[in-house]
Amino acid sequence: MSEDRYHINIFKPNGEFQKTEISYIWLILAIWGIATYGFQILLRIVQRNPQGESFLTDMNFLGFPFHYWFTGQFLIILFILLCIWFNIMIDGLEDRMGKGDVA
Amino acid sequence: MESSFKLGPAIILVIVLIAFIGIGVGHKAKDQDDYWAAGRGIGRIGAGAAIASNWMSAASFLGMAGLLYLKGYFALAYVIGWTGGYVMLLVLMAGQIRRFGKYTAADFIGDRFESQAARLIAALTAIIISLTYAIGQYKGIAMMFQWVFGMPYATSVIVGTAVVLAYIIIAGMLGATKNMQFQYCIIITAFIFPLIFIAKKLGYFYLIPEIGYGSAVWDLGHKFAGVTTAAGDSLENLKYVQPWGIGSTYKWIALCFTLMVGTAGLPHVLSRFYVVPNTRDARWSVVWGLFFIGLLYWSSPAYAAFARVQNAIAGVQPVKALADAIVVTAAENAGLPQWFCGYLAAGAISAAFSTVSGLLLAAGGAVSHDIYYRIVNPNASESSRMMVSKVAVFGLGLIVIIFALKPFALIAQIVAMAFAIAGNTIFPTFLLGIWWSRSNKQGCIAGMLVGLFLTAFFFFWGKGNSHWLAQLIPFTSSSLILMPVALFTNIIVSSMTPPPSKEIRKFLCEQVHGIEFD
Repeated sequence: MSEDRYHINIFKPNGEFQKTEISYIWLILAIWGIATYGFQILLRIVQRNPQGESFLTDMNFLGFPFHYWFTGQFLIILFILLCIWFNIMIDGLEDRMGKGDVA
Repeated sequence: MESSFKLGPAIILVIVLIAFIGIGVGHKAKDQDDYWAAGRGIGRIGAGAAIASNWMSAASFLGMAGLLYLKGYFALAYVIGWTGGYVMLLVLMAGQIRRFGKYTAADFIGDRFESQAARLIAALTAIIISLTYAIGQYKGIAMMFQWVFGMPYATSVIVGTAVVLAYIIIAGMLGATKNMQFQYCIIITAFIFPLIFIAKKLGYFYLIPEIGYGSAVWDLGHKFAGVTTAAGDSLENLKYVQPWGIGSTYKWIALCFTLMVGTAGLPHVLSRFYVVPNTRDARWSVVWGLFFIGLLYWSSPAYAAFARVQNAIAGVQPVKALADAIVVTAAENAGLPQWFCGYLAAGAISAAFSTVSGLLLAAGGAVSHDIYYRIVNPNASESSRMMVSKVAVFGLGLIVIIFALKPFALIAQIVAMAFAIAGNTIFPTFLLGIWWSRSNKQGCIAGMLVGLFLTAFFFFWGKGNSHWLAQLIPFTSSSLILMPVALFTNIIVSSMTPPPSKEIRKFLCEQVHGIEFD
């Protein structure tokens, strides 16, 4: 039994702290994946010609064709926000669980 | 781009280079720990600037704008791959790597998988990745030396390397870290200010040209859409804007994914986490690093779009050969004063230098620390390790010169290969090493060897091959398929062989993941 508890598996969290930590990880990765790759697949689904033109490319946003703005500018902003959000969540979790940072 | 000697830019470049060395000398490395971890006292923002400066290479500074200039929306896959990888790195690995507390990627792999063979393979892989990536910097260095001094390629390669080596060996990593913040300032100011000038000249919103270029992209898709060129219709302005005008959806996704896992698997990126005092700082330094990198990557597409509009207005066709110099030519075309173009060139060279020095240090570390100290001679004294490290950095610098003088593929392809190797070997090994305690040395070794072999195979066999398999696994974007292949090789082989020792699993739980058992 004492040997059994030393296991780490991202699909089988070990303990309360890790359970919450891993749920945050999946949350961030899901948003990250859907925004990055889901958007490209969406462009593909709604396209009216093989070059990928659609209402998403016709739309003007801040001067940009919408798809160009979303990928070229917004995704990087989203990445930074996701990182900040993740860090705030983990900091909060560590504080709640009394996991002081060890240097 | 004429290549004659230019006095103003030359003076600025020399001043910047002397400042780098001067700052380096002011912060000599005291001992091995200092040399590697640079005092651990540089704070979150400082560490973030170091991450960004270490990261931003000639490929980011010059190559990316060049690719965007030629390929438009397709090349945004580079922008997203090279930033999105940091999200994965942060949520899956950054804190854990810091808590594991090792200096190099090979150290982590050797200790986690309790195997000297795994350590050796990881060290050699790290050396291959670092050298390949360093070779990729030389096109940028040479192009800028050529523009400023009128030097031919071969001379610039040798002079450039000599300066980098002198700087590394004199200052060690403490100097490098301090330097990196200074270098970041030079790089980013040199990159951002000329854009304002260019946007104003073309009549776009110039206060924030990163937003103003949107209208330039719009114009390329509408006002200038009809400009077809004899140079081949892939350079047509309309295709520049269309999502799949140049590359297919699959190619976009495969490329982006490869660059993401490659970023999260580059040894010199992974080893940045040791220069911060604790895990919380390690995590926050990624945020700052990503923001600082973002400043550059928001601006590259703007250079590219403005350059295409300049072409359309002047009625000239985009020229492939000029693409890598597009940042400087766009500024020159807009009438930016020559001394400022010199500053821009200095920024490009700083970007290349900071990356090359980071890479050579990582490779030198792999030789002196991972191979010499941990495998060959565990009783080596501090001074002899320091010595080996310096000799290694010097020797590796010479190897880089030789390959840079005669590259075995296009520079951009060589860089892409470094990412594919990192993504297909180091990344899956770290991922399983941290997140699956059952993964063992047999699995790790099998996974890394399969990753290495298949990456090399598809690079050399798949290049220019129309076979369906080569289309499925594009030679520079192989990770979408090969990273999972290497990952599952590790999982399957690990499952068929005995689990790792209780000690390492205990360490993984208690130390790396901070689980407290009662």
